[in-house]
Amino acid sequence: MYKYDSYDHAMVADRIAEFRDQVERRLDGRLTEDQFKPLRLMNGVYLQLHAYMLRVAIPYGTFNSAQMRTLAGIARDYDRGYGHFTTRTNIQYNWPALVDIPDILDRLAAVEMHAIQTSGNCIRNVTADPFAGAAADELEDGRPWAEIVRQWSSFHPEFTFLPRKFKIAVNGAKADRAGIRVHDIGLQIVRNEAGTTGFEVWVGGGQGRTPRLAQLINPFLAPEDLLSYLTACLRVYNQHGRRDNLYKARIKILVEALGAEEYSRQVEDEWAVIRDGELKLPAEEIARIRSFFDQPKAVEPTPVPVTENRAFARWLDRNRRDHAVDGLSSLVISLKPIGGTPGDITDTQMDAVADLAERFGFDEIRATPDQNLILPHVRNEDIEAVWNGLVDAGLAVANAGLATDIVACPGLDYCNLANARSIPIAQAISSLLEEKGLSEKAGDVTIKIDGCINACGHHHVAHIGVLGVDKRGEEFYQITLGGAFGADAAIGSIIGKGLAGEDVPAAIARALETYLDIRADNERFIDTLRRVGSDAFKEAIYADA
Amino acid sequence: MLTLDRKTETRNVADAQLAAGGGRIVELDGDADWREAEAEIAGAVRVDIRFPKFNDGRGFSLATQLRERAGYTGKLRAVGDLIPDQAQHLIRVGFDDVDPDRKGLEADWARARTRFAHAYQPGRGNVTPLFRHRHKRPEDDLAALNARYRDMTPQDILRDAIRNEWVGKVAIMSSFGAEAAVGLHMIAQIDPATPVIFLDTGRLFAQTEQYQRQLTEQLGLSNIRLLKPDAEEVASEDSDDRLWRRDPDACCALRKVRPLDEIIGDYDALITGRKRFHGGGRMSLPVVERINGRIRVNPLANWDAAAIEDYFQRFDLPRHPLTDMGYASIGCWTCTAPVQADGDIRSGRWLGQSKTECGIHTPAQVAAE
Repeated sequence: MYKYDSYDHAMVADRIAEFRDQVERRLDGRLTEDQFKPLRLMNGVYLQLHAYMLRVAIPYGTFNSAQMRTLAGIARDYDRGYGHFTTRTNIQYNWPALVDIPDILDRLAAVEMHAIQTSGNCIRNVTADPFAGAAADELEDGRPWAEIVRQWSSFHPEFTFLPRKFKIAVNGAKADRAGIRVHDIGLQIVRNEAGTTGFEVWVGGGQGRTPRLAQLINPFLAPEDLLSYLTACLRVYNQHGRRDNLYKARIKILVEALGAEEYSRQVEDEWAVIRDGELKLPAEEIARIRSFFDQPKAVEPTPVPVTENRAFARWLDRNRRDHAVDGLSSLVISLKPIGGTPGDITDTQMDAVADLAERFGFDEIRATPDQNLILPHVRNEDIEAVWNGLVDAGLAVANAGLATDIVACPGLDYCNLANARSIPIAQAISSLLEEKGLSEKAGDVTIKIDGCINACGHHHVAHIGVLGVDKRGEEFYQITLGGAFGADAAIGSIIGKGLAGEDVPAAIARALETYLDIRADNERFIDTLRRVGSDAFKEAIYADA
Repeated sequence: MLTLDRKTETRNVADAQLAAGGGRIVELDGDADWREAEAEIAGAVRVDIRFPKFNDGRGFSLATQLRERAGYTGKLRAVGDLIPDQAQHLIRVGFDDVDPDRKGLEADWARARTRFAHAYQPGRGNVTPLFRHRHKRPEDDLAALNARYRDMTPQDILRDAIRNEWVGKVAIMSSFGAEAAVGLHMIAQIDPATPVIFLDTGRLFAQTEQYQRQLTEQLGLSNIRLLKPDAEEVASEDSDDRLWRRDPDACCALRKVRPLDEIIGDYDALITGRKRFHGGGRMSLPVVERINGRIRVNPLANWDAAAIEDYFQRFDLPRHPLTDMGYASIGCWTCTAPVQADGDIRSGRWLGQSKTECGIHTPAQVAAE
C-alpha cells in the first residue's frame, strides 16, 4: 500500500497546524461560526445531535495493522470504546471533545492518516473496489489511480469551494464493486483494441434526494491525461453548478440540465487547452505510485481448507472469496452481528483484526462500502487460524452478502440531518430474519436503510431499500424495491405508502418468503424480482396492513 | 436557473483613482464568462474579481481562465468576502493581491500565505506540483532525494530504490559480515532477485564463506554477483602474499576497489549497509550520497546497534559465526581483529593503523593516497 514520503508527511502536518490555528481564531472571534463551519467540515469535524463527530479518511478503503491499532487507541482514549465504519469506507467517532481533535489528528498523522476532505463542498475521499489488487476478475488495480486522484484533489486551489460535495470512485475489475454509476465521477478501467488500459469516464451519478445514474462522457481516457481531464470536468462544474439551491447543487443536476453531450462539449473545450500542459502525468510518477501496490505471492499454494466443523464451513461458504493468486483467499469480516449496529466495531475488536492482518494477512485490511472489513490476502493454510481469531473476537459472523448483512446510516440516533432512526430498524430486521432462518435461505440479497433522503445508507441501490421519513412528527418507513449497486446499477422504486417502524421487519420477512416460494432454481432475489415484477412482493409487504 | 448565459456584469472603476500610469481597472464578478470579459480586460492595468461569499469558489476558476485562456498578464486582485485561509488558493490560481472586506487581519493573511510548503497541483507562485518535484533527478538534486527519504524507514527506502527510483539499475553491496543479514533480509522481502555484490578477496574467513551460503539459501537470494581480484594482477602485485602487510591500501585496491570498478558501470546506484554508529568518517553519513559520480544509498544510516539487534531477533535471523568470538565488523582475516576494549564497532579493522576504510566507499583521490 502507499507509503508517505516526507512531502506527504509535511502536507498533513501543515494541515494540522492550520486547523489548530483555525480553532484558535474561532475562539477569539477572528473567524465567525459561518466561516469556521466549512473549514472544520473540510477536516472531518461535524457538529452532530449530541456531540462533535470526527470522520477519519481511509483512502480507497486500504489500511494496515498499525493504522487499525491507532484507530483502536483513539476509540479507547478519546471516544467510548468504539468506532463506526461508513459506506464511504471512512471511520467515524461519535463522541470526541473538540479540544482533543488536534491531538487525535497528530496521532493519525503518525501513522499516515488524516481527516482531510472527509466532508465539505470539496472533492471527498476517493473510493475503489474493496477487493482491488486481490480480485480474480481484475483488469488492473485501481488504487494507484485513486492515490493519484487523492493527492491531486487534496487542498486543490481551484476546487475547494465547489457548489457541493464531489465524490470520485475508481473500479479496475469487470464487476463494478465501487459504484461507478452512482458517483459524481466514476472511472472504470478498460482496455482498448490496442491492448492499453485507460478509463471510461462516467459523470453525474449520485443518490440523495434526486438519485441519478451516471452517463458515459468519455469511452477511453488515456491514463496520463487523467488529471487534466478531471480538472476540466471540475472547472465546468465549479463555474456552472447551481449555487442558489442546496438541493440542486450536485453535478448530476448540471449534467441533466445541460445534457451529457453539452456538458461533455464544455469539458472538451476546457480540456483542449490544458491536456498537454503541466497536468500530464509523468510516467515516472505513475511508476512510483504503482510500485506501492504489490500483489503478494503464495509461496507454495495450498487448497482452501475442507472442514467438518459446521460453523467454520458456513463461514467459509459465505465470507471467503477467490483470489487472483493461486493459494490465497480474500476473507470478509462482517461487522453485522445479528441484532447489532451495522459498521460498529469496538477497540478490542479493532486490535484483534490488526493482529490477524499482521500475522496472516500481509499486513493489509480493507474497509468496504457495505460497512464490513476484508483481509484481502490470506494464505489458504492460514484461513482456519484467522477464523479462530475472529471467533475469539466475536467477529466470525457468517453473513457476508446475506439479508442480515444490512447497510444502515447512523440515522436519528446520531445525525442532525436525519428524520428517522435507522439503526434500531436494522437491528430488528436482522434479528427477525435470523430467527426465521430467512437470512441463510434467501441467499444474496441487499437491504439498505436510510434515516433521511440524503441516502448515506445507499437505500436507492439496495434490492430492498428502507427510507425513514418524518410525517407530522411520526417516523414512517418507505420501502423501495429493485435497486442495484454495480455494473447492473439501478435506482429502486418506491412501492407505496410508508410503514410504521415496528411493521418493517415482518414486511421484509414476508417479501423474502414470497421470493422463496416463487423463485426458479438458483435464482437470486433480484433476478426473481426482475422476472416477475414487484406486484407479488408489494402484496406481501402490505399483507398485514 | 443556470448561470451559463447570465450576462457578464462588469464595472469600470474610476480610472482617475489610479495614480500610476492612469490605466484602466476592470472589476468582474466571480461568475463572469472569461470569453465575454476578454475584450473588456484588454489593456487594463488591473482586473479585480469580486467574491460575493468566501465559499463561492467561481472566482478561482475565472482567475485560472483569465491567466490560462485569455492570456491576461496584468495585475489580478481578489476583492470581497474572503478569509485568510484562502490566501494560498488565491496566489496559486493567479491572483497578485487581495482586498478582503474584513480588515485588520493582516497577520493572519501573512501567515496563511506560507502555510503549506508544497502543493500537489501545478499553480502560480513558483509551485512545482509534487508529482513532478519528486522526480527531479538526483543528479540535479540530491537534496530532494534525501528530503524525500528523510522520514522513511529503511524498508521503504529500499522499496523505493529497487521498485521505483533505479528500477533494474541498482544492486546491494554486502560483505556478509556481522550485520549483513538485516539489509539482505529487507531486500529479500522486496525482490530476492536484486543483485547482491559480494567481494571475494581471497582472504575471507572460512566462516564468512559459510555464512554467505547459509544466508543466500535461507533468504532465497537468487542473484549473487561474486567478484574476485584479477588473477594476473594478483600474481604480479602480490606474488609473495604479503601485500596486505607491506601496503594495505594497495591490497584493498587490488582485491576490492578494482574488481568493483570493473562492474560498477552496470548500476546507477549501489546500496550499502553503512551506519552512522560505526563511527569515524561514517558519523556524518547521509542516506543518499554521490561517490565518484555514482549514487550510494545507505538506508540503514540512522540505525543504531539496538535497532539492528531488535531486527535480528524479530525475524530470527542467523548470526555470523564470528560474532560470538567478539568480531563486530568483519573483513579479510589478514586485517580483522575482534572489537577492542573501549573501541568502536570497527576498531578491529586494520588494527594499529590509521586506515579505517578499504576504499570502495571513498572518493577515488582519497583512496589513492
